[in-house]
Amino acid sequence: MIPVLAVVTALPGFAADPAPLAFVQKNCVACHNASLSSGGVNFLANLRPDTFAQNREIWERALAKLKSGEMPPPGVAKPPAAEIAAVTKWLADEFTQQDSQVQPDAGHVAARRLNNAEYNNTVRDLLGVDTQPAADFPADQAAYGFDDVSDALNISSVLLEKYADAAERSVRTALFGPEKLKPAAVHYPFPVRLNDTRGRGPVKLPADIADYDQTGLSLRSASHVTHRFPVEGVYSFRVVFNGHRPNQSMPARIELWIDGKQQQEFDVDATDLEGQNREARLKVTAGEHLISVSYLKQYHGLPPNYGGPEPSTRPPAPLLDSTRGKLTEHDIELLRKLGTTIKPDGVETRIDNRFESLDIGGPFEQVTGPSPASRRLIFACGHLDGKHNASCPRVIVSTFAQRAFRRPLAPKEADAYLSLYTLARKQGDSFDNAIAAALESVMVSPDFLFRIERDQPHNSRNAETAAIPVSDYEMASRLSYFLWSTMPDAELLRLASQHKLRRPAALEAQVRRMLRDEKSRALVDNFGGQWLQFRNIDVVRPDLAKFPDFDDSLRQSMRRETELFLDNIVRSDGSVLDILNANYTFVDERLARFYGIPGIRGPEFRRVDMSATERGGGVLAQASILTISSYATRTSPVLRGKWILENLLNAPPPPPPPSVPALDDTKVGQSASLRQQMEAHRASPVCATCHSKMDPLGFGLENLNAIGQWRDKDGSFPVDATGSLPGGKAFRGPKELKTLMLQDRDAFVAGLTEKIMIYALGRGVERFDRPAMKTVEADLAAHDYRFSALVLGVVNSLPFQMKHAQEPHPREPKDAVVAMAGEKSK
Amino acid sequence: MRIVTGKHLSRRTLLRGAGAAVALPFLDAMQPALAAPVKSVRRIAVVYLPNGIIMDQWTPASAGKDFAFTRILKPLEPFRDDITIVSGLENKAAERAQGGGHAKASGSFLSGAPPKYTAGADVHAGTTFDQLAAKKWAAETRVPSLQLGCEDSRMVGNCDTGSSCAYTNSLSWKDPDTPLAVDVNPRSVFERLFGSADPSLTPQERARRAMYRRSMLDLSRDNTRRLEAELGPADRRKMDEYLTSVRELEQRMDAMEKDAARIPPVEKPAGIPFVFSDYVKLMFDLQAIAFQNDLTRVSTMMIGREGSVRTYPEIEVPDPHHPLTHHRGHPDFIEKVTKINCLHAQLFAHFVAKLKATPDGDGSLLDHSAILYGGALSDGNAHSNVNLPLLIAGQTGSNRIGGVHVKLAKATPAANLFLSMLAGAGLSVETFADSTGTLDLRG
Repeated sequence: MIPVLAVVTALPGFAADPAPLAFVQKNCVACHNASLSSGGVNFLANLRPDTFAQNREIWERALAKLKSGEMPPPGVAKPPAAEIAAVTKWLADEFTQQDSQVQPDAGHVAARRLNNAEYNNTVRDLLGVDTQPAADFPADQAAYGFDDVSDALNISSVLLEKYADAAERSVRTALFGPEKLKPAAVHYPFPVRLNDTRGRGPVKLPADIADYDQTGLSLRSASHVTHRFPVEGVYSFRVVFNGHRPNQSMPARIELWIDGKQQQEFDVDATDLEGQNREARLKVTAGEHLISVSYLKQYHGLPPNYGGPEPSTRPPAPLLDSTRGKLTEHDIELLRKLGTTIKPDGVETRIDNRFESLDIGGPFEQVTGPSPASRRLIFACGHLDGKHNASCPRVIVSTFAQRAFRRPLAPKEADAYLSLYTLARKQGDSFDNAIAAALESVMVSPDFLFRIERDQPHNSRNAETAAIPVSDYEMASRLSYFLWSTMPDAELLRLASQHKLRRPAALEAQVRRMLRDEKSRALVDNFGGQWLQFRNIDVVRPDLAKFPDFDDSLRQSMRRETELFLDNIVRSDGSVLDILNANYTFVDERLARFYGIPGIRGPEFRRVDMSATERGGGVLAQASILTISSYATRTSPVLRGKWILENLLNAPPPPPPPSVPALDDTKVGQSASLRQQMEAHRASPVCATCHSKMDPLGFGLENLNAIGQWRDKDGSFPVDATGSLPGGKAFRGPKELKTLMLQDRDAFVAGLTEKIMIYALGRGVERFDRPAMKTVEADLAAHDYRFSALVLGVVNSLPFQMKHAQEPHPREPKDAVVAMAGEKSK
Repeated sequence: MRIVTGKHLSRRTLLRGAGAAVALPFLDAMQPALAAPVKSVRRIAVVYLPNGIIMDQWTPASAGKDFAFTRILKPLEPFRDDITIVSGLENKAAERAQGGGHAKASGSFLSGAPPKYTAGADVHAGTTFDQLAAKKWAAETRVPSLQLGCEDSRMVGNCDTGSSCAYTNSLSWKDPDTPLAVDVNPRSVFERLFGSADPSLTPQERARRAMYRRSMLDLSRDNTRRLEAELGPADRRKMDEYLTSVRELEQRMDAMEKDAARIPPVEKPAGIPFVFSDYVKLMFDLQAIAFQNDLTRVSTMMIGREGSVRTYPEIEVPDPHHPLTHHRGHPDFIEKVTKINCLHAQLFAHFVAKLKATPDGDGSLLDHSAILYGGALSDGNAHSNVNLPLLIAGQTGSNRIGGVHVKLAKATPAANLFLSMLAGAGLSVETFADSTGTLDLRG
């Protein structure tokens, strides 16, 4: 947030110490003046001592750029190092002096609506059913890069209706089991990813024929689809094939996989596979699964003249007498036997076997009935067999409401929800149905849908800062939504009820327990996925014509790598610096082949050492990040440079000016390399300011193509992976870039701290949060950059522990409220 | 290339796109739509068959009124007086064009314009005749036209010897650059026609659930008002937003209740039915309902796309359709293709029966509909574009037709038939594609 016009600058100490002013006038105002205002900065405007504090951000930028050597820019005379050192020291001291006067403030977060991920997880833990109801909700809005920011989480009548529907469905699923579904089919047609032209004579086998992927999963002939199964049950899988196998080949072996596990093999003896099909019926659990179909040992069993492994031992297939015109009697007899498994107009030589489509139908034999675990969660009075007594409805409803509201109920609060039970009973509903109505009413209440932190009466209110500690229960929710994106578990609630959660030792023990728990995956998905933006891997569409190797299975493996990498840092308390550079990563066979790492077989992910590879480790070596920071058709040093500046160097560039011409994609790699073209683009001074920072970073990654695969050439041009950091430090290739970034770790740590604070607090960070963030940064450095130190730093910080008390407004007269909300008076 | 999916018209999208301010676009729009049409209107539909037909089992031996129904057309015999078989039409555009035989056929069929030979995004063909009617009537119905299919399509790259998939996946083209994607999911067709109302509950159950929901909302409102007293201004703003949502939801429920009588007359489909014949019949039923309620007057449906490799094990054809049609005279293959042709005709007879049984104005729905049934290839083995297998069920206009086999001079442009259908429906179009005039379909 830099004011573009009328930038104001004056240093309060200018009068006392004229040196800084002289420095600015000598070195800066030639460009940063009223008429040029380069970069939107004008050091001549409004030189008033009282505005120094307001323009802190400008001076911080100036400090950063002086320190890094970015300013004064190349081509302008550099002031002597001693002068720079003096002025930067002067600025830094001035800031420290300012900060010591800033009154820390805990800030305030308005009632935060559960976002879609939190809603899904909370319903799962509240009812014991993982129905992912939010899949049908409108997408949440994000602010400051995260979708858990209170100000951006609105509610509308459309969403409220969906909440009501979701409450009804989830409660009924928990009490009575999933809704009985009629079988229906979903058809997945697969794109052609193979060259489908007819060859003459044997087709050339791939170069790695001695060590090709015998599972077929990573070959272009395979197809993959992620399918959501609404309920557990039996589903039918109808696989339709297409393409061809050479005459005389052994029968094709086709495997159907679910989540990388072999389920069913089919043998198909055909040279013309077009429309041939097989069907399997398999029991599948509810939820998303990756379904794959592949040709096993695709290059085995070919005719001997192909030179492949284990050549066919069968005699050549009988041929038709005629390939054109009328069939002979012999041909008619032969085709009677072979049907459409051969093409009747020639000898088949192609190996372009592939899949036409997959139909998933069902559910058949749907698993019905509620899970005992769900009923145990709900029937808190302990009568699962239905022999309830008179006090049961109250016990059930109030226990449920306490868990749903994540706090104890006020006296009489349960009565309101119990009234739904009474109403339904009066309408003739069964006990269970009436309980369902009461529970649904709990789940449309704002106490469930929002995290509301009340200002409890507190003795400990700090008179100066108006900060009060949040309650024990509110602390439990803050912790669990931060680390797990869900409601607090029984242990957190128990500690809160005993007022033990705020004790430092207990709090630390809980944080460590929560990070080790597998629910901390939510932190990887929701914090990591948004901070590093790797969530976008689900929606990118690399151009299949340019990147035929990309498919849904590779997409999943890419995402899984980054998830496991971050999950490992979270759960085994690794160093956050591993994100910048690490000597390890996690791969399955698909990704290992994609990265060119030998000897990894099978679909399980495992940790591998990356120190000997050219790409190295850290997120900048991961295909997910490299793909989401590219265009569909090519790499973008601009996007990658911007990504690095934003996420790893804490220096987001401003948005581009309007009406900037885009690069002509068709010329890349033809008339000039991408790099040459972009350097031409940077010749324009308007573009140069920002692009001279972004592009050289991105160029360092040019050895990795738009889906993250290593390359030595861009089109017909050798890759030039030299680049430089904003300060001018030069490097060649990703490894040197990462080494330099590790040296510059402070910016990374500051950026990470800011982002995780926003995510944890659910609000943007303010000037008054700086002291808290500085403490977190220092703690992190002091503790070997362990992830737990980062989280504990945030959890122990003032804004996480406390909140700025709000004065409740005196209740306005009822009519006024009615008018304001537009209510009909009743 | 733009693919228009029609999804932009769904109620959900409208709600999302326009926000809560336009809470009732669906119900408002339904008001005139579902009221019984005052005067009879005309409808135009096309039912498309892929991969050609075994022609000697389709074409009746004699022309005129006393023709005998052939094996393939036998299922339509009960509707003899409503059926007009038109032989001898030709699609010249497909012969002129370059590219795969299947892509050229369906890609040019209803427009008479040769499709540009490309596998890229620069597809180009012609505006199809159904879309002329759809444009003319667009303002009068909820949905200008339906494009349905019973076979999903891959929609990317090259589907037939270097020709874009758009040519085999789509039948209707809004303009020469815009193929209209077919909707293959009965559920989404239903939602397009009726919004997302759930007709599966009994009226009593629906009313009771609505009452509970109102009680829950009342309760939440009371709690929230009490809660607001404890909160500061920022939290109160959030709670006011919640209260506004409660009020708007109640208003929507009021409107819904008034509209209870307009709950659609069919069950909401779960998705694609598992059995093919159920699937096709359901798609026909949805068209019949749309016509009956004047939700649209134009529809096209592809029973399969060109090159379809569907298998029909239920009628002892476990082999894929397309390779069978390249039969080279093999009697077994021909028999199997004939069986597929027969099955399609049986399913079509279901549609005809439904339209005939539905009263509409001074007659039946069939009396006010012109349904073109057939394909853009005659002999699939040779990818032949002459002597196309075509018939009309119903009436093209006020001059009654039916009960006749019209045998035209060789090489009559198929566009003449489309022009006749448009003229009969009251659209004054001088010419269409390579048309040379309208046809006399009375035989």
